[in-house]
Amino acid sequence: MFDRDIWQEIFHSIRNNKLRTFLTGFSVGWGIFILVMLLGSVNGMQNGFTKQFNDDATNTIFIRPGTTSKAYAGFEKDRRIQLKNDDIEYIQKSFEKDHEYISGRMFRNTSARFKSETGSYNVQGVHPDFQVIEKTIVANGRYINENDFRSGAKVAVIGRKVAEDLFKEEDPVGKFVEFNSLPFRVIGVFTDEGDDNAERNIYAPLTTYQKIYGNTDQIDQIALTYNPSYNLTKALEFSGRLETILKRRHLIAPEDQSGIRIFNYAEAFSDISTFTGGLSFMSVVVGILILIAGIVGIGNIMVFIIKERTKEIGIRKALGAKPSQIIKLVLLESVFITALSGFVGLLFATGLLALIGPNMDFPAFSNPTVSFSTVVIATVILVGAGLVAGFIPALKASRVKPIVALSDK
Amino acid sequence: MIEIKNLHKSYKMGSNSLHVLKGIDFSVEEGELVAIMGSSGSGKSTLLNILGMLDAADSGEYVLDGVPIKDLNETKAAQYRNKFLGFVFQSFNLINYKSAMENVALPLYYQRVGRKERQDKALKYLDQVGLKEWATHLPSELSGGQKQRVAIARAMAAEPKVLLADEPTGALDSKTSYEVMDLIQKINDDGNTILVVTHEEDIAHMCKRIVHLKDGVIVEDKKVKQVRAQQYV
Repeated sequence: MFDRDIWQEIFHSIRNNKLRTFLTGFSVGWGIFILVMLLGSVNGMQNGFTKQFNDDATNTIFIRPGTTSKAYAGFEKDRRIQLKNDDIEYIQKSFEKDHEYISGRMFRNTSARFKSETGSYNVQGVHPDFQVIEKTIVANGRYINENDFRSGAKVAVIGRKVAEDLFKEEDPVGKFVEFNSLPFRVIGVFTDEGDDNAERNIYAPLTTYQKIYGNTDQIDQIALTYNPSYNLTKALEFSGRLETILKRRHLIAPEDQSGIRIFNYAEAFSDISTFTGGLSFMSVVVGILILIAGIVGIGNIMVFIIKERTKEIGIRKALGAKPSQIIKLVLLESVFITALSGFVGLLFATGLLALIGPNMDFPAFSNPTVSFSTVVIATVILVGAGLVAGFIPALKASRVKPIVALSDK
Repeated sequence: MIEIKNLHKSYKMGSNSLHVLKGIDFSVEEGELVAIMGSSGSGKSTLLNILGMLDAADSGEYVLDGVPIKDLNETKAAQYRNKFLGFVFQSFNLINYKSAMENVALPLYYQRVGRKERQDKALKYLDQVGLKEWATHLPSELSGGQKQRVAIARAMAAEPKVLLADEPTGALDSKTSYEVMDLIQKINDDGNTILVVTHEEDIAHMCKRIVHLKDGVIVEDKKVKQVRAQQYV
């Protein structure tokens, strides 16, 4: 294998048959290029999906009240369900081990004013826990804390866009801003990687907003995260229990789907991982099919080469070449061409991915890359492909009868 | 050197069988220069192929330098060819992408001779056929006579026991033919055993013995007075 002469033979035959070698190599290089790009693209889609959902904690469960669709327990249908503070307390007590963070949510619109600047924004009344659930990043100042919450302080955490709109160059932290003519003190500014729209939000303590809006204990929505050590099955089982118990508590028919809706992120995630898993499986299958086409192509060309070189092989055999030496020559040439051209394809594909990958950032497609293991596997496939493609032609070559090859007639 | 007894060979042509060699008895001593003559279809090429182990006989005995040539597998045949025989063909059969020197060195490569030694030997044999200056040229840059001389150098490089030449002058004009024959005679003068297949009378008479083949049997086997090719060059 490391015989210098055999390599010289191979380089010789490659140098003297440039077009042939190029055509052979191109089919393999192209196959590998497509395979790697395909795997990279699937990876990019996976990244894109994950990124979209990563905006919120991935173990979040949302509880949204609705309107009943069935008469039950003496109530007529079309009854509005209203969540209250004691629902949160109840969940905290009943599912102490199952949940990690919990927060109520209250959605209100407000027209905000600072000096001469005004704007209309969504305000969410939340618990301090909500920072973790929504993965809110406070860039400046702080988030709502327990003290704010208990006292119902008129404080607000505003989004970066809100700060830009209202405060321009000024530092908003510590300043007072008017929400529907009530003064709130800005305690922090948050940013959100997900999208700009999220940065047009304002967070305030839930208690404060409940006080402002008629001193109620009503909440619009409950968000909680389940115990992060739970796997998918356990998480789904937990949200199932949650649903049953809340329906019982609010006297909703157990089969009523619209009275209370529980949205578990785990479910969506399992769907996505099944989807992307299927996608990468598909891409591997397609890639291998393309490679097979490439291998058949090489085999084809090798058979043709053997036919073309029949006379030469005959001469070599007449001069004393053993069949094994002929096999080695043909096989090594085929492996060399596939490995080299495949490697070039691999290099091009990974290079292209490395170059444009980081710049690719769309909602469902982000940073397509290939892992090192993919590259290694591709390389192994390449050498294997060369062996497979060269084997039959090599065997054929070794069986060339010198007498037939050398007959002048 | 060569001992053949009752050699038979037939080829299957569809349902028919063509009996080409019908019992050949033939022996060659060391240092002989034998011409094998016959019209086409007489079996002379088949005989040469069997002698060259490129083809196997159906029955009969073939002993080469004391080694019985029988039931050879491909690998063994390749080894014997490499060790015992040198070939010269009508159409030269040089490898067209290799230089003259590389062509001459090829049988040595299959003898596992080291690189440096191979080159030295190849140059030495090229020098012997008078083509040392053409060592780096490709066959396409050589004339017919030069190509055949390279082929002879290649056949000699492996230092074979027997040189088999199949119509070595068949593709050459008469002047070049005589040059090639002159070379063959000189190699024979050094004590090498050479068999030349030809259908040209004048070429045959430049050998020391002529064997006539007709319809698969030897009809005549005579010693002749060698005509030196030197005088025509």
